Amino acid sequence: MNVYVRYKDHNFIQKFWIALKDGNIWTKLSLFIMGAGYMAHRQIIKGLLVTGMEILFIAYMYFFGVGYLGKFKTLGTVQYESKFDVITMQNVVNDYDNSFMILLLGVITIVLILLFIAIWMVNMTSVYYIQDEDEQGHHINTFIEDIKEMFDNKFHITLLSLPVTGVLLFTIVPLIIMIAVAFTNYDQAHMPPTALFTWVGFTNFSKIISFGQSAEFAYAFRVVIVWTLVWALFATFTTYIGGILLAMLINSPATKLPKLWRTLFMVTIAVPQFVSLLLVRNFFADSGIVNSICSNLGITALLQQIGLVKDTITYIPFLTSPGWAMVMIVLINIWVGVPYQMLIATGVLMNIPYELVEAAKIDGATKFQIFVHITMPYMLFVTGPALLTDFVRNINNFNVIYLLTQDMYVTTNQTLAAANAKEVDLLVTWLFRLTSEYYNYKMASVIGCVVFVICAVGTLITFTRMMRAGREEDFK
Amino acid sequence: MKRKILAAILTTVMAGSLLTACGNPEVADTSEPAPEAQTQEQAPADGAPAATDGTQEIQTVDTSSVASGEDAVNALIANTTGPVDLTVWAAEEDQDMVKGWCDDFAAQYPDVSLSFNIGVQSESTAKDTILTDPEAAADVFSFAGDQVTDLVAAGALQEVSIDTDKIIEDCGGMEAGAVQAAVRDGKLYAYPATADNGYFMFYNKEYFSEDDVKSMDAMLQKAADAGKKVSMQFDSGWYSLSFFVGAGFELSANPDGSTTMDWNGTSKDGIKGTEVVQSMLDIAANPGFLSTSDAEFVTGLTDGSIIAGVNGTWNAEVAANTWGDNYGATHLPTFTCAGKQIQMSSVAGYKLFGVNPHSKNVGWAMLLAEYFTDYDRQLERFTLRGAGPANAKAAASEEVLSDPAIAALASQSQFAILDGCEGGNYWTPTETFGAIIASGNPEGKDLQELLDNLVDGVSQPVAE
Amino acid sequence: MKDLLLSFLRHLLLFVLAFFWLVPIVWLVCTSFSAYPGINISHFFPEQWSIENYRSLLFGTDTVAQFPRWFWNTFVIACFTCVISTTFVLSVAYSMSCMRFGARKALMNVSIILGMFPGVLAMIAVYFVLKTFGLTNSHLGLIMVYSGSSGLGYLIVKGFFDTIPESLREAAKLEGASEAKIFTSIVLPLSKPIIVYTVISGFLAPWMDFVYAKMILNSGISSDWTAAIGLYNMLEKTLINSYFARFCAGGVLVSIPISVLFIIMQRFYVEGITGGATKG
Repeated sequence: MNVYVRYKDHNFIQKFWIALKDGNIWTKLSLFIMGAGYMAHRQIIKGLLVTGMEILFIAYMYFFGVGYLGKFKTLGTVQYESKFDVITMQNVVNDYDNSFMILLLGVITIVLILLFIAIWMVNMTSVYYIQDEDEQGHHINTFIEDIKEMFDNKFHITLLSLPVTGVLLFTIVPLIIMIAVAFTNYDQAHMPPTALFTWVGFTNFSKIISFGQSAEFAYAFRVVIVWTLVWALFATFTTYIGGILLAMLINSPATKLPKLWRTLFMVTIAVPQFVSLLLVRNFFADSGIVNSICSNLGITALLQQIGLVKDTITYIPFLTSPGWAMVMIVLINIWVGVPYQMLIATGVLMNIPYELVEAAKIDGATKFQIFVHITMPYMLFVTGPALLTDFVRNINNFNVIYLLTQDMYVTTNQTLAAANAKEVDLLVTWLFRLTSEYYNYKMASVIGCVVFVICAVGTLITFTRMMRAGREEDFK
Repeated sequence: MKRKILAAILTTVMAGSLLTACGNPEVADTSEPAPEAQTQEQAPADGAPAATDGTQEIQTVDTSSVASGEDAVNALIANTTGPVDLTVWAAEEDQDMVKGWCDDFAAQYPDVSLSFNIGVQSESTAKDTILTDPEAAADVFSFAGDQVTDLVAAGALQEVSIDTDKIIEDCGGMEAGAVQAAVRDGKLYAYPATADNGYFMFYNKEYFSEDDVKSMDAMLQKAADAGKKVSMQFDSGWYSLSFFVGAGFELSANPDGSTTMDWNGTSKDGIKGTEVVQSMLDIAANPGFLSTSDAEFVTGLTDGSIIAGVNGTWNAEVAANTWGDNYGATHLPTFTCAGKQIQMSSVAGYKLFGVNPHSKNVGWAMLLAEYFTDYDRQLERFTLRGAGPANAKAAASEEVLSDPAIAALASQSQFAILDGCEGGNYWTPTETFGAIIASGNPEGKDLQELLDNLVDGVSQPVAE
Repeated sequence: MKDLLLSFLRHLLLFVLAFFWLVPIVWLVCTSFSAYPGINISHFFPEQWSIENYRSLLFGTDTVAQFPRWFWNTFVIACFTCVISTTFVLSVAYSMSCMRFGARKALMNVSIILGMFPGVLAMIAVYFVLKTFGLTNSHLGLIMVYSGSSGLGYLIVKGFFDTIPESLREAAKLEGASEAKIFTSIVLPLSKPIIVYTVISGFLAPWMDFVYAKMILNSGISSDWTAAIGLYNMLEKTLINSYFARFCAGGVLVSIPISVLFIIMQRFYVEGITGGATKG
């Protein structure tokens, strides 16, 4: 019986502990020279590789890591200075600190250290396993056999190493940095390379809840977060219901040429969003074509009479006044989003268990009853998780909002304007403008943290609920 | 005679009265004719600060530690071993012109291997791209004058260290608006390239006489009668300051990027802010008026619905082509406020070339920027692109003076304040403020409250 | 009779809906054939038709419109992105679906949370990560950004893999096949629909994105741009009046290959989504 079978109920910290306690001298030596255990049990190449990796890590830490970590506490102290030298015709620059690079490399170093510790602990259990196998007289893998293992029982390691590295670099590290920036004073007055920024604790977070000094920001935050949630709710459900209804309409046996209709609606998906949305926004501009047509047909005057358009303006403010813009954005989103949902709904509807519908018909159920009691529950059952993903995606629906309102929508709410926000902003578009136009990275990061928490918590709750409910049984 | 007056205005006014910088142009009373060329002709030829009223001091530049032309070139060539790669950013419409200049520049130094990359970067948004990562910005870039403060604060502009004296001299001396626009803390940070980044009044002579265009009231009346529109962009702080500064209010940018503004009080000419707002509301409500964006102005102009508008030289070509012989341009009119006629002010803006201090070839970049902004290049830019030169000699040349748009800009410049009085938080609140007025204050908000909110928003510190 | 009326109403409704859906697209196509370069606000159909926009877009390249160049750049980026991200997605999906290892559950939970993390939030950080490796302003950097985190989008593919009977894999195992062998010669050949879906969606991403592309290709050299930035740039305030019609023409040209791919993908998209969703 080998060690893994004996200890299989232990988690990896416990395994590490057992290895540390019961390991022989070579295993214990692996604490310091990671390959020692392997080399003692005839796995020379593996031992060398592991030790080599350890040496690389230590070298990195010695030459770079310690330096970054040392400055991580202050994020740098040496201000940038530059002087033009008329002899060499070059700028002479001092050896300055770049706060952002210190933050970035510091975070990468910390991630590396954590990874190394994990590998180091796993390495101990692995070395102990070899020791155990050897003591029991089992076969010890040669290096070639180890490589083969990587394509067999340990194939997941081979498969996952690159994708996980990618996620680490392009999602996790940026995520940590974003969170970290929320605790600094990184803004236009503190921009590297010429200026330094530093840690400020929870000051930035207090700004989004405070009512005192920066009340504008807290106010704007409330307005924007409410609209973000309202928008996500409307955008998700209108396209979802719309998609199902459209799919049912097209797929009904009474409809002629279903393929043609489906293709017609799908044209809007084939045009990239940045083209279709930028187009639509010019279509509905204050002095755009729809407005000229409406005013020629007398629609503008009619709307003015019933009070939907103010007397002071001569056009319909489709995308420029708060109420109109919000409705139009949801409508335009239906235009963009319904065909997608229709596609999915078509697929699901085709898979509805035929017997169920037939049985219901025999029992004398009306079409409406079939829809409410069979079609909808089945749809919800199949597409439930997708619905949630859609909701989160809509909270972060940067494209639709940005492309429709950027350079187009001017807020008339002065408090919002003071915080550089607009009524139709989502948290993400506000965040984007704060960084790209006002360099207010610290507040943008705070908003980013909030978005992330909302999305992550929502997802976790829903997913665990769904798992627990055992939805398959429910449906049957 | 007219030509002469213009020449006088150009050389002196542009150099001299702009010095009011963020100070205050005079308010014209109805009883007096607008202070036209007559008074300006008497302005001292050396551009002495005739209009400074103590609110604005002239910044001077210490040029003692600066290399001069020939030494610099020699030193540069001696220190250049490998090939020199320079990236240049210029506006979309200037690409071919700049490419030509780069080739000419390279031809001057046959012994050095110079190569150029020319990138597209609109002058009005150059700051946004540069500040994201100053180290990745081009070696030489073109940008609009209102961005100087932010760029300097971010360390994204190289202090001009070669031929500084000559550059200042060419622009008309230390007091010239073009130089003042580029000076911060006693250092010259950029190379003035054009002096046309301001606005004035375009009008169609078919509808307006020369007398009509002197007052906004008359213009709106005529336009309303003809069922046409006079246009101006209200929802932009760049244009709306025209009314407030005209009425004697204060606007200035502080070195930290914040803005000082007193529009919610009473101006030094005794006009209340609310009275100005009321005037703007009256204009906005006039059937002969339309608040349009720049693009909409062009559309309205070409389809004939707009017959006059406040805009700048960049649309002069469209206006001239559309209106033909009826094309007219002049300084901004007066508007009625608190029973008086007040001359509308404007922004006298410059486009400048800057050098990136993080450039690997700072010396060459400076030489190139200097070359881009010398007399010949500015004149060529005028011929090709209709851009008003910042170079004093070029600005006074015959063909520049005969251009109606430039002439209009020149006559407006006596009422103008220097671009760059707007700090970072100026734009969004003024945009909103203007939008409220353009839509006729639909919620009927108290005017004083509107102004108080505006000033609060604008005067926020840049980094809270 | 009643049936006929109902059928008529049904088709009328569809017709009205389709009309609304297509109006802006028709406007796009019409404007692209307009002789007037700006936005025509008074007439829906151009007063004068012309193919000048297409001609100047394809052959007369100025710095604003280097369409063939952008198209090629985007195509190259899309090809690489598609290869890398397909590899990543399939690898992760196979590991999560067909293999059992200690960290599997934990990794899946973490990936669900990270999948909720929208790219816009950490653009600056991503930019500087690339800068540390000297990859800003290069197509390689853009490819890495597009494909780097693609492993997180494995859920649909995993759902599909889950539907492949386990007995097939068990049988192969008994015959001594390694996991790598099972992956390449049993699971992959059975998953053609979902592979096509993954390949096409990976290919389409670079055609749609303008935010990251604009940030990373920040040298202003317009011949380096992707189609999305190039077209987006045509609508800058100073350019829109002379380039709007060409923007429309570019939009049409970009849409053509995408439509073709989309029609191919349509079938697999539905199969993938529903297959994946039913099995959870």
